[in-house]
Amino acid sequence: MQPLSDHELATELRALRPTPEPEFASELDARVAAGFADDDGRAGAFERLLAWLRPTRRRLLTASAAGAVAAVAIATVVIAPGGDEPTESNPSSSLGFLNLAEDAPPEAEIGAGATGEALVPRAQSAPSSPTGPYASQTRDREVERSATIFLRTDAGDVRRASADVFSAVSAVDGIVLSSSVEEGEGGGGNFELLVPSGKLGDALASFSEIAEVASREESTADVTARTVGLNERIEDARATVDSLLAQLATADSEDERAAAEAELRAERRRVAALRAQLSDLQRRTNFARVSLQIVTDDSGAPAGDDGSWGIGAALDDAGRILETAAAVALVGLAVLAPFALLALLAWLARRRWLTASRQRALG
Amino acid sequence: MSETLVAIANHETASEAGIDFDRLYRDSRDDLYAYAAGLLRDRAAAEEVTAAAFERAYRKWSRFDPRRGSARAWLFGIARNAALDELRRRGRQAELAAEPADLETATAAESAEGSARRLTVAAGLAALAPRDRELVALKFFAGLSNAEIAAVMKISESNAGTRLHRVLDKLREACHAAA
Repeated sequence: MQPLSDHELATELRALRPTPEPEFASELDARVAAGFADDDGRAGAFERLLAWLRPTRRRLLTASAAGAVAAVAIATVVIAPGGDEPTESNPSSSLGFLNLAEDAPPEAEIGAGATGEALVPRAQSAPSSPTGPYASQTRDREVERSATIFLRTDAGDVRRASADVFSAVSAVDGIVLSSSVEEGEGGGGNFELLVPSGKLGDALASFSEIAEVASREESTADVTARTVGLNERIEDARATVDSLLAQLATADSEDERAAAEAELRAERRRVAALRAQLSDLQRRTNFARVSLQIVTDDSGAPAGDDGSWGIGAALDDAGRILETAAAVALVGLAVLAPFALLALLAWLARRRWLTASRQRALG
Repeated sequence: MSETLVAIANHETASEAGIDFDRLYRDSRDDLYAYAAGLLRDRAAAEEVTAAAFERAYRKWSRFDPRRGSARAWLFGIARNAALDELRRRGRQAELAAEPADLETATAAESAEGSARRLTVAAGLAALAPRDRELVALKFFAGLSNAEIAAVMKISESNAGTRLHRVLDKLREACHAAA
């Protein structure tokens, strides 16, 4: 037999092609037409249900994923610190400003002042029925005022807020005693200010417009008694000085003159000290001391303590919830990751083994 | 209800792949069987593998990606895995002890009609190693192109052509020796 040509070999091989039995072919046709549903009714129904759900499931998954991404993005932009969203958009800030700037004077701290005077709330500093040794001078009472205000703003807005603080101080003829400004994440600003007492309300209103007011406190100390007392002591000292001068003029001996001069020097030093105290007291009543801090969301700013719960607080809460949920998810992933890795390795190993064993089956 | 769901499923997969599963089935049924029977040399096993392959393909039809190859090559890839699993499960390597005469009987019947050469080719084919016989089955029984064979066997097209050429040389030598 002559060696077969490629064409002859191909022809013979095609002629050897096995064909399925008609019974098998018709049976398989029927199964395919039925979608292999008759083989396993339970599995078939499940597969059909999956097939029916597939488009809906995909849409749901897509919508869920898009919604989750959008929620995270919104939460990140609106709530996250350092975002570019202006804080004026937060309704709580403007509401807080209105409450603080336009309402009745806020509660003041009650405590002891540095000079020993009793610090009393502002509402009590102008009693309707004054009592005490200086009750007749209620219209000219000397009151020392101080305020502490925290402004919350974005980290990128600290420079602008600081410039506005300087402008506001200048507008009320105030004095910046000290200032420090730090920009960027975790930054902020600290300002020690002196503001004319009569313009303290205007100044605080201006400060409140610069950024969201995180907290604000005002305190007053009635120093009328101390002022009057100092004035009286100065008058007494002056009278003493006049008396000593008279003694000095009528002194007959050197000893008397030396004693009068020594007493006169001591009394004059006393008058000078009393005047210095009075001057310091007047400066403190003429100028209110304001401690202003600009804080960013991530610099440990004190939370608002007005007790209200609005959209801003809700966003804060939502942010915290998202943060917690993300943390929980992260922990869950950390726990599951090793198992997932093991499962992946096992799956890869099985697949490799299956491929190798199939190749071995061919010999 | 079930027919509607099946229709929805068919429509979905067809729209995604641009190919109708029923058409793929009609075009490939006999070829797939021929490949399985040529590799396994067992009609019952070939029928089982053919049915299993079509059922798996039907279940996975939504995952078929036309960009990764033709539907026919994808289907034969599934069938190949099913056939190799069948070989592996039975612990044999394409050599059947139970029903070896099925194909040979048919071949003998045909040879009785006047083709001694065909009988010689059938004998040479039976003498081939399963790995070589698979190539012949894919090419001449199933009618796959070299590119489709390469896709099914996960080798390059040139490698498929080279291996096919060598297998034909082996077969030619086996036929010559048998003659």
